[in-house]
Amino acid sequence: MSVLLEVNGINVTFDGFKAINNLSLSISNNELRAIIGPNGAGKTTFMDIVTGKTKPDSGTILWGQKNSSLLRMNEAQIVELGISRKFQKPTLIETQTVFENLLLSLKKSRNPIATLFYKMSPDDEKEITNIAVEVNLIENIGSLAGQLSHGQKQWLEIGMLLAQKPNLLLIDEPAAGMTSPERKKTVKLLKKLSKNQSIVVVEHDMEFVKSLECRVTVLHEGTVIAEGSLDHVSQNEKVIDVYLGR
Amino acid sequence: MKSIFLNYLNSMSSFFWITAIIMIITISIVVFSEAYGLNFVSTSFVKILGKTLCLCIVALAMDLVWGYCGILSLGHFAFFGLGGYMIGMWLMFERTKSIVIESTQNNILPLTHNEINEAIGTQIFGVVGGAEIPMIWIFADTLSIHLLLVLFVPGILAFIFGWLAFRSRVNGVYLSILTQAMTLGLSLYLFQNDSGLRGNNGLSGLQNIPNFDNITQAELSIWFLIASSLTLVVTYFICNLVVKSKLGNVIKGIRDNETRIRFLGYKVESYKLFVFVITAIISGIAGALYYPQAGIINPAELAPIASIYLAVWVAIGGRGSLYGAVIGAAFVSLSSSYFTGGQIPNINFGIFTLKWVDWWVVILGLSFVITTLYAPKGIGGLVEIMFRKKQL
Amino acid sequence: MNILFKIIISLFATVLFTSSLYASQNLKFENVLSENFKLITKSSSKTIDPVIKKLLNTNAPIVGDFLKKWKNKKLYFIKKTNSIVSLKEINTNGYELVQFSNKKNLGFFKKAEIKKIKPNSGVRSKISNALIGFQLLSTDVNIRVKGLETLSRKFNPEHLTPLKNALAKETNLKIKKRMSQLLIFGTIQYSQNENEIISSLKSLEGNLSIEARGVISSLLKNKIFVSSQKPNSPNLARIIIPGVTLKNSDGSSLKPSFYSNKKPEITKQEALKLLINGNYIKNYISPSKRDEILKKNIKNKYVENIPVETLKTDVARIKAYNVLVSLGKSPPLMTDQDIDTIINKHFFYAIYDEKSSKVINTAKEVFNSINHKVNFYKYLDLILDGLSLTSIYFLAAIGLAITFGVMRVINMAHGEFIMIGAYTGYVIQLFIPNHTISLLIAFPLAFIITFLAGVGMERLVIRHLYKNPLDTLLATFGISIALQQIAKNIFGTQARPLTSPDWLDGALVINDVLSISLIRIAIFVLGLTFLILLVLVMNKTRLGLETKAVTQNPMMASSMGINPDKINMLTFGFGSGIAGVAGVAIGLFSKVTSELGSEYIVQSFMTVVVGGVGNIWGMLAGATMIGMLQKFIEWFNPSNTLAAQTYMIIFIILFIQFRPKGIIALKGRASED
Repeated sequence: MSVLLEVNGINVTFDGFKAINNLSLSISNNELRAIIGPNGAGKTTFMDIVTGKTKPDSGTILWGQKNSSLLRMNEAQIVELGISRKFQKPTLIETQTVFENLLLSLKKSRNPIATLFYKMSPDDEKEITNIAVEVNLIENIGSLAGQLSHGQKQWLEIGMLLAQKPNLLLIDEPAAGMTSPERKKTVKLLKKLSKNQSIVVVEHDMEFVKSLECRVTVLHEGTVIAEGSLDHVSQNEKVIDVYLGR
Repeated sequence: MKSIFLNYLNSMSSFFWITAIIMIITISIVVFSEAYGLNFVSTSFVKILGKTLCLCIVALAMDLVWGYCGILSLGHFAFFGLGGYMIGMWLMFERTKSIVIESTQNNILPLTHNEINEAIGTQIFGVVGGAEIPMIWIFADTLSIHLLLVLFVPGILAFIFGWLAFRSRVNGVYLSILTQAMTLGLSLYLFQNDSGLRGNNGLSGLQNIPNFDNITQAELSIWFLIASSLTLVVTYFICNLVVKSKLGNVIKGIRDNETRIRFLGYKVESYKLFVFVITAIISGIAGALYYPQAGIINPAELAPIASIYLAVWVAIGGRGSLYGAVIGAAFVSLSSSYFTGGQIPNINFGIFTLKWVDWWVVILGLSFVITTLYAPKGIGGLVEIMFRKKQL
Repeated sequence: MNILFKIIISLFATVLFTSSLYASQNLKFENVLSENFKLITKSSSKTIDPVIKKLLNTNAPIVGDFLKKWKNKKLYFIKKTNSIVSLKEINTNGYELVQFSNKKNLGFFKKAEIKKIKPNSGVRSKISNALIGFQLLSTDVNIRVKGLETLSRKFNPEHLTPLKNALAKETNLKIKKRMSQLLIFGTIQYSQNENEIISSLKSLEGNLSIEARGVISSLLKNKIFVSSQKPNSPNLARIIIPGVTLKNSDGSSLKPSFYSNKKPEITKQEALKLLINGNYIKNYISPSKRDEILKKNIKNKYVENIPVETLKTDVARIKAYNVLVSLGKSPPLMTDQDIDTIINKHFFYAIYDEKSSKVINTAKEVFNSINHKVNFYKYLDLILDGLSLTSIYFLAAIGLAITFGVMRVINMAHGEFIMIGAYTGYVIQLFIPNHTISLLIAFPLAFIITFLAGVGMERLVIRHLYKNPLDTLLATFGISIALQQIAKNIFGTQARPLTSPDWLDGALVINDVLSISLIRIAIFVLGLTFLILLVLVMNKTRLGLETKAVTQNPMMASSMGINPDKINMLTFGFGSGIAGVAGVAIGLFSKVTSELGSEYIVQSFMTVVVGGVGNIWGMLAGATMIGMLQKFIEWFNPSNTLAAQTYMIIFIILFIQFRPKGIIALKGRASED
C-alpha cells in the first residue's frame, strides 16, 4: 500500500506549552485509522496541523504520490487536494437547510464568480438526495441544520464530507451524542468508505474504536507512544500507564 | 425541495413588491410634479425623495456586506462620498469651464487652452489659495472617464483595503474599527486644503448640469428621481440575484460559520473581498446619483459617523433582508429630515419644552438601542411577522 | 566720532570742575536751545538728529534731565519770548515756570501764554535713544534696567561706548551679566574691529537664545546677484543653479536630496526676471506682452492674414507673432530654449553683506554648531511631545482596552464617558471657584459618575448582547449619539472652559528651544499613575486575578466559581470610570465640547487594536507607537497635521498585516474563538 499522508517530526508550541512533540505518523491509501489518547494528547491539534489551521514550528507534512508539502498551503488549497475534516463540535451552517449545507459541500468550483452563476443540474440534485439517504437525513432535507438533533448534526457533517469526495477524511469524535444503533450505522458507513478513501478517526469511546477493527495510534503529550491493533496497543505498558495513571 | 422553491418565490415577490411601490411613487410624483405635471409637489420635495432613493441603494449595499456577509463595514458611506466626489469633479469643472468661456466671449483674442485652465483653476481653487488645477483633475473634462472613476475609485480603494484586511484575517470588531479608521483617514485627507479637492469647502454647484443650462431644476429633479428609482430597482434585482445564488449561501455561511466554509474549501477571503468591492462600487454609484441632487459635497459627508448612521438605517430596517434595508433607509432618513426640519410644533410640558430639533437625535439613538436589543430583525422583521400571520 | 563718549567723559569731569564751568556749559546749552527753538518746538524725526547732537555737545550736566522731560512732554515754551522752560507747579495763580539752565523762577503764567512741547513718537524714540547713555549710568537700578531693555530692542552703533563704560562701573551682577551680553551682540553688529567681533562670536558658541541666533544670522545676510562672469568674491555665499539648488540657513547652498520636499531657491522664471532686471536680457517679450502686441495689430478680425479666431493656442499665436516679426513690426520672441541657454550662460550667486571673510567663517562655524545643538533639542522636544500625546492616548484608551480585553466589547460610547468626565470638571468649577480644590473633587466625582453610568449601561444593554460583539458596537453607538446630543442640549454647542489651577499654568523651561508645559507633565504623571495602579490592581488583587481569568478563558473561570457576570459589571464600570478621570485631564488642555470624546475615540480604538488585547503593556506599546508616530509624521510635514493622521492610519492598516492581533498577542487555544 502506498503512503498517502506522511507526518514527520512535527513540533508545536503554544506560549511555552508543547502541544505536539516530535510527532511522526503515516497514513496509507484506503486505510482506516483510529487515533486515541487522553485529553490534551494533541489529537485535535494534529488535525489542525494537517488541515492548515495551525502552522507547526518545525517538521514536514507530505501528501500523496507527488510528496507535496502541506505546510505552505492554506486551508482551502488543502481541501482542494482532497483532505476533508469533521470537527469535534458539529460545525454546520446552522441557519441553512440540510439541502443547502450539502449543496455547499458538493465538489464544484469554489470560485466566487462560478458560485454566483451556479445552476443546479438534475445530477447534482440526485447526488445530494443520495447522500441525504446515506446519512439518514432525507426526511429532514428541508429543515434548518440548526434544528437537527446532535446525532443528526454529526451525520450531516459526515454527509458534507462525502459530498466533497475527499481522499482523506479526518473525523473528530463522530460517535459523540449518537444512540447505539446510530453508532453501529456510523461504523458500517466508515468501514464502507474506507474501501475507497483513507479515514482517520479520533475517538474516546473504546467500544467504538474496537468495532472499527482497524490500526490504532495512541498519542500522549503530543507524541506517538504506541501503534498497532487495539489488542496489541492495550498490552503496551506505556499505554496502560497513561490510561490508568501512574 | 418545495421550501427552496417557495423561498425563491418569496424573494422574487419582495422584488416585485419593492419595484411596484417604487414605480408607483415615482410615477405619481411625476404626475404631481412642478415640471411635468399638476404642480402639487415642490421641487425640493422631489429632491428629498430622489436623495432618499439613493440612500436606499447604499443601504442595500450595506445590507449585502453586513446583513449577509457579516462584515460590519464602517466605510461604505465613504465609498458613497467618493462616488459623489468623482462625479462632482466633472460637474464642477465643466460648469466652471462654460462660465469662463461665456464670460470671456468678448475678449479680443480667443482664449488658449492654458488660459482657460488658468481661469478655471482660479475660479475653483481660489478658496484654498491655489490657482493651478491639481493633477487628479486631469480627466475632469471627460464625462466618460469620470463615470468610470465613479466605479473604479471606490472599487479600487475597497479592493486594496479589503485585500489587506481580509488577508490578515482581521475579523469582527477589529475589522469594523479598521474600516472606521480608513474612513477617518480618508475624510481627514480630504479636509486638508492641498488634497486637490478644495479641502473643507468641498465641491459645490453640482446641481447645475453642464450643457443643460436651459433645463430647469424642477425638470432635472424629476430626471434624477427617475434615474435614482431605476438604479434602485436594478440594484435590488442584482442584490436579490446574489443573495439567492449559491454565492449567497456561501456568504451567509461565512457570516454564520466562517470556519465551516473555510474547511469546505472556499477561499473565504476572496468571497469577502468580492462582496466588499461590489458593494463599494454600488455605494459609489449611489453617491454619484445623490450629490448632483444635493448640490454640494464636502469631507464632513464622509466622516465615520455617516457610515455608522448607514449601519443604523440597515439595523432599524432589518439586516439580512433586502427590503428591510430599503425600508430602514427610507424610514429613518425621511423621518430625520421631517423631525429636524423644524416643521413639527414643539411639545410644551410646562417646565420643559421638547424641541424636536434638539431631541430627535436622542430619540433616534435610544430607539436604535432598543431595536438592537429587542428587535434585531428591525422593521423588516415586523413585516415578516405580519406576512406570516396572513399566510396562516 | 563718539559724541556720547565725550559727553560721558565730560559728565565725569563735571564732578571735578568748578561751577563756573557748569555755568558756561549751561549758557552754551541755553544758546543751543534758543538757536534751535523752532526745530525743538515743532520737531520732526527728520530734522531732530542734528539738534540732539548739538545739545549733547554742550556737555551740560542738565542735558539728561532736559532730554527726559522733553521726551515725557513736560516742557513748555513761553509764546512771547520763545524760551523753553519747565513747569514747577500748577496752582490757582496759574502755571509757575522755571528757567531750565539755572532754575531761575520765572513767575506765574496763564495757560494761554504758554504752550506744551509735544514731540511725536518718532522724535521721542530718537530722544530716548540719546537718553540710553544717561540711563545706563543712573544710580537707580530700575532706570538702568529700563535702559537696558530699550537697548536690547534697539541697539545703535553709538551705544557701544557708553555700554562699555557702564559695564565697567556696574556692580549689580545681574545687570552686569545682561550688559556684557548686550555688549557682545553690539560688538558683533557694529564694531569695526575684526578681532573683537571674532572673539565676541566665539563667546556665543553654544548659546541657544533667540537673540544670539538672530545676531549671528544677521552677520550671514546675503544678497543674490547675477552676472555673466564667474564670481570671484572671497565673500561668496553660494552658487545658485536656478530650479535646482536649495538655500541653507547659513547661506551656503545644497543639492536637493530625493526625499526632500523643499522647493529650489529660485525657479527658472525668477532667474529670468533677475536677468531682465540686470539688463542681461533686453527686449524680452513675455507671453502677455506678445498677446498685447497681437491685439494691437488686429485689423477687422485679422492679424495680417490670420483670422483672430484661430489664435486659440500658443503655437498659433507664436506663428502669428512671427509674421509680425518678419514684417519688422515687432521685436523677435525668445523660445524656451533660448531662455534656457541664456540662464545657463549666466551665473547666479549670493554674496554675504559682511566684508571680512574671517568673520564670515567664524560666524558660520558658530552658527552651525548652535544649529546642531538647537536641532538636538528640537528632537528632544519632539520626543517629549510624542510622549505627552502617548500619555493622552493611553489615558483615553485605557478604559476601552480594559472593557475590550475582558469582555470583547467595543464601547462606542467610551468617548462620551470622557466627555462626561470633562463636563463634570466644568460643572464643579461653577460651584467651587478654587481651581485646585475643584480639581481634587472633580477627579473622584467624575470616576464615580462614569462608573455608575458604565455599570448602568452594562446592566441595561451590554449584558444582553454578549453573544454578538458587533451588536454591542451598534447599541453603544446609539447611546453615544444620544449622550452627545443630550450634552449639546444642556451645555450648548460652544466650548466650555475647564481651567487648570495656576500652578499648572507655567512651563518647565529648559532653555530657549525646549520648554515643557506643566500641564503636559501633569498628564504624563497621571498616565503613569494609572499604569502603576492598573498593574497593581491586575496583579495584586483578587479582582485583578479574576478579571485575568475571565479574559483568558471565561468558561473555565466560571466553572472555578468566579462570577463572570459580576466581573463583567465591575470591569465595565472600572473602564468607564477611568474614562471619566481621563476626561477631566483632557478637558484641562482642550476645549470641553460635546464632541470632545469623539475626537479621541478612533485613536483610542487604534491604540487598542495596535497594542493587542488583554495586556496592559501591549496597550502602552500601542499608545506609544501611535502617539510618537503621529508626532513624527507631523514633524516631517508640519504644515499638514490632517494628512499626518491619514498617513498614520495607512501605517496602522499595514501594521495590522504583520501583527493582526496587535503588538502583544495572546497565543494558543484561548485566543481562538
